[in-house]
Amino acid sequence: MRATYFLQRLSQLLIVIFCVTFGCSLLLQLIPVSPAEILLPVGSPEERALLTKEIGLDRGPIGYYVKWLSEFVRGDFGDIYYSGGREAVSSRLVVAFPRSLWLMLYTQIVALAAAIALGVWSAYRVGRRADKVISNVLFVFSSIPGFAIALVLVLIIGVRLQWLPTLDYQPYSAGVWEHFKHMIMPVLSLSVGLIASYTRLLRADMIATLREDYITMAASKGLSDRRILWRHAFRPSSVTLFTSAALNMGGLIGGAIVIETIFATYGVGFEVFAAISGRQYIALQSLVGLISIFYVVFNVIVDFAVGFVDPRTRDRRVNK
Amino acid sequence: MSTNKTYTVPTYAAFGWLTFSTFLAVFGPLLPVESFRTIHGDFLDAKPFTAGHWFGVDSNGYDIFSGIINGARLSLFVAFITVGIGGFIGSLLGITAAYYRGRYDSIVNTAFNVVLAVPNLVLALALVAVLATNVDINEAVPTWRRLATLMISLTVVIIPILGRIARASALTWSGREFVVAARSMGMRDRHIIWRHIVPNVLPVLIAVGFLAVGVVIIAEASLSLLGVGIPDGASWGGMIARGRNDLEYNPHALYFPIIALALTVISTNHLGDVLRGRLDRREARL
Repeated sequence: MRATYFLQRLSQLLIVIFCVTFGCSLLLQLIPVSPAEILLPVGSPEERALLTKEIGLDRGPIGYYVKWLSEFVRGDFGDIYYSGGREAVSSRLVVAFPRSLWLMLYTQIVALAAAIALGVWSAYRVGRRADKVISNVLFVFSSIPGFAIALVLVLIIGVRLQWLPTLDYQPYSAGVWEHFKHMIMPVLSLSVGLIASYTRLLRADMIATLREDYITMAASKGLSDRRILWRHAFRPSSVTLFTSAALNMGGLIGGAIVIETIFATYGVGFEVFAAISGRQYIALQSLVGLISIFYVVFNVIVDFAVGFVDPRTRDRRVNK
Repeated sequence: MSTNKTYTVPTYAAFGWLTFSTFLAVFGPLLPVESFRTIHGDFLDAKPFTAGHWFGVDSNGYDIFSGIINGARLSLFVAFITVGIGGFIGSLLGITAAYYRGRYDSIVNTAFNVVLAVPNLVLALALVAVLATNVDINEAVPTWRRLATLMISLTVVIIPILGRIARASALTWSGREFVVAARSMGMRDRHIIWRHIVPNVLPVLIAVGFLAVGVVIIAEASLSLLGVGIPDGASWGGMIARGRNDLEYNPHALYFPIIALALTVISTNHLGDVLRGRLDRREARL
């Protein structure tokens, strides 16, 4: 049963990755001009013909896709062309990827830490004033887009108070404080919305768990509230929370485009944007392929991790 | 928690704000307000509450109050149209997939998953980039075409989000006794879907549709910030993008559109929540 389920998930995963990347390469065929003309605006017809051949565009949609795929799996993500030269996408990713990874990691840590504290507290005080205040404040913040929070932060903390730098990224090697100083505002603006949605999930599950008999049992044994909340109620209530957190990973790595642009963090999201605005369609295809692979792989890992942590869900999934 | 009190003050406020901004969107051009394109050269960088310019003037000389009113039209127009069309296509696919099951269902479901595997904004950006490419790459793309590509791209983003909800909801309904009974009586599939499944799925879709309106408004603003939205600061997102260039000396050019946008998204999210809560309660009583 487990093996067939595993194979089924794996094939689904491969189909999705195939469709996404193939769809991207079809988009390239859809544009009304020859991509070589866009990539080499000042090139001679011979140079363009050479480039078309090199990219594989003369082989038709399927031939092109096969060529792209065989290079993609070998780690060659194509080149970015600009006037007077070209640069491999992979060499840009070496710079951009760690930035996005750190950004994603800090955002998740901040969001989860805050959401766990707030979620457990508001479930414990359900219906009381603390719960209502937390829920309402978070609801308002969840509706404000991240870029709006980012701009207001830049204005108040960066420009008026001058506490934090508003642009650029510093690697860890430039000093721990330097590194974090440049991360605080992007991480805050990304995590506010997540805190709200995570808290909601945890609160709902936690309230349901606290109504279970074994919690009453634990309370009647005379265990302290704190012990019941953290030892007995938190773990079974946290499955949805961690599932949703893991599903956000792919989106945070490639989807933080606006925040990365505002703060000039220049991670993977910015590379996607640069590929689009510079009409680097081959780079775009590779980047979107990578992001969707991340998304799908995290999806499957979560599926199995959840089944591992909470055996009840395993059976439910197989029967479906 | 009080269960019988369905409408609270925030609900009325949210409903009021949406009605008000829809009113501005529809009747904005008829109001005695100067065009948002008029340049008030004598009032550059005027602070809010200046006579004649309640919300101030930005550093280009555009009146922010007129901008907000005009922005309501474009932002809400784009949001409602895309959610409407996307929701229609998505629910058509989702409901029929859930009803007929089989291979058709798995194709539709895979298609939804494929689109959902790409982050919203990346998908919209890629579509805009491809659709807005001119044959002559040096020629500017006309505004109407940029608007059309923007709406098509956002529709594609919305289809799987609402389609998935429709499919999940239709799956639970199409297994119910009354559907089986209708089928055994020889009722046509089309009629079963239309009479028995659609009325039950629709409330959920409307509730989630409100949330989707918020998603689209934010996505449109994000695209404007990246410079691929509607040009000339004609939408709230466009105003934010323009105000961003000058946030040090003229922050109110940024605050007002952000407030308008946030209020609208808070309202749609709240109404979506209230509707969903009512549905859950109705479900619980059954």
